[in-house]
Amino acid sequence: MTVGLQQFLVVSAFLFCLGLLGVLIRRNIFVVYMGLELMLNAANLALVSFSRYNDNLDGQIMVFFIITVAAAEVAVGLALLVALYRKRQTAHVDELTSLNS
Amino acid sequence: MNVLLLSLEYMVVLLAIVVVILDFSLPRTRPTLGYLSALGLAVICFFSFTFQIEDGMVTGLAGQTHVSLAFGGAYVLDPTALWFKQFFLIAGFLVALISIGYSRHIESGLSEYYALQLFALAGMMFAASANSFMLLFVSLELITITFYVLVSYLRRQVESLEAGVKYLIMGAVSSGFLVYGIALVYGSTGTMDFAALGEQLDNDLALAKSTMVQVGLLLIFGSLAFKLAAVPLQVWAADVYQGAPAPTAAFLAVGSKAAGVVLLMRLFGSVVSDVTLGWEKLLMILAALTILYGSLCALPQRNLKRIMGYSSIASAGFLLMGFAVMSQSGSTAILYYLFGYLFTVLGAFAVIGVIVKQAGLEDVNSLAGLSQRSPLLAATLTMAVVSLAGVPPLAGFFGKFLIFKAALEQAVSYPAYYALLACAVLGVLVSIVYYFNIIRAIYWSKNPSDLSTIPVSGPVRFAVFTCIAGMIVLGIYPDPFLNIAGRAVAAFSL
Repeated sequence: MTVGLQQFLVVSAFLFCLGLLGVLIRRNIFVVYMGLELMLNAANLALVSFSRYNDNLDGQIMVFFIITVAAAEVAVGLALLVALYRKRQTAHVDELTSLNS
Repeated sequence: MNVLLLSLEYMVVLLAIVVVILDFSLPRTRPTLGYLSALGLAVICFFSFTFQIEDGMVTGLAGQTHVSLAFGGAYVLDPTALWFKQFFLIAGFLVALISIGYSRHIESGLSEYYALQLFALAGMMFAASANSFMLLFVSLELITITFYVLVSYLRRQVESLEAGVKYLIMGAVSSGFLVYGIALVYGSTGTMDFAALGEQLDNDLALAKSTMVQVGLLLIFGSLAFKLAAVPLQVWAADVYQGAPAPTAAFLAVGSKAAGVVLLMRLFGSVVSDVTLGWEKLLMILAALTILYGSLCALPQRNLKRIMGYSSIASAGFLLMGFAVMSQSGSTAILYYLFGYLFTVLGAFAVIGVIVKQAGLEDVNSLAGLSQRSPLLAATLTMAVVSLAGVPPLAGFFGKFLIFKAALEQAVSYPAYYALLACAVLGVLVSIVYYFNIIRAIYWSKNPSDLSTIPVSGPVRFAVFTCIAGMIVLGIYPDPFLNIAGRAVAAFSL
């Protein structure tokens, strides 16, 4: 069996759903961040494979931007988490209840 | 590629760098950095009015003429982009003034607070010119990531940090959707460029109807709905507005929302307008849900900033309604509504920032006796609230009126718009109730405990007077602004 575009896309869609599920289900903020990263990287995989099979480099250039942005996002996210942990001694989504709703 | 085209963005970024460097090398200049940032933005804004754009050519101050595309077509400076850039510059200027008044509240990193606002502003200005998915993504992320920091800037307050974390998680999910949507659209069309994309979809209807393109565009639409704070990605708004410092919340309400609007109009109103035409019902349902969600959820709230958060969701609904109308008059109405919204919301947040600082709590009850403590603030907040509620003759009324009128014009040929209009009218009626609660707290609350006068600093006073002037002028003398807005959207097909 040859590995074609379809296989890449299936894997990427699977990873994206896994990431989304992680964000929705897991309660620890660290794991939520990992889910977010997984979503972005699933999109990266899709972009690279489209780029390869379309004979067009735009997608791969886009991936560089996405990796950079994801790094910036995580840097801010972890800084926030450290500051929050100092105040509340928790990294649980469920315990973020100081904003009334 | 030439410097003239990008000069506005360059100047804003340069101003941000100057602010950081001055703080670093001359610490004693720190208190004046806010004034520097506001003054710089005012100058850049005046400079932007020297641009002339005609038939895809941009003419600068010295008479030099250039094609309006840069970065290989990824960046475009058309009348719409210029209108939004000026809009963002005015918003940034007023937010900088409000921040100066708020600065005593920020314990550390004051100059970075101004600098980050300027970076976010640069992101918004790039977004106004985005003409390819790459610039769209990068400019959106520049806005969002700087706002993660700006929202959680009061890092000794749990509320602020919590708002930051919530905004970050929701924002990252929405950028995941955005990137995956871009991947799907790119995969089926093989291009990131808006011009090439539009051409392909126009020529190949089967491609435009294919599942991959439709799903991809829906994902992108979802992430723009996050920026607007519209259903289905609106849940962050109330929490984030409540936790964020008042100037940040103000900038978020005006700038971030408008950045979403300009991308929505450029991508869905112009580039892929054929696809959008098939989404008429979806857009109408989303607009109606957003208006009703915002208005009904605000009803039981007592926290001022939280009320503003829900009110911003309702406003996103009205903007989406103007977009769902899919006509020139709808687009013009959106621009007009946004311009009125700028003065209204910034006026409201300027007052809220001062009062919250004074009272130490954000409850509606902290407004008690405001009419005696500071007639200026009381009058401003009252006018802002009246304008948000859509009562004539202020700016908010005319914006809503234009959107309703555009919807009525369409309803003649397509009766479903009557249902949307009914939802919108219901939303307006509900909103009058909670807006009236605020006015009642200002003027008729019993036994206010504290009647000392509230000092209002010079910059905030100036911002407040500008907002009052904006609300009144836009309300009673709309014609020139309407013409400008009409010219700005003339190039769009929807």
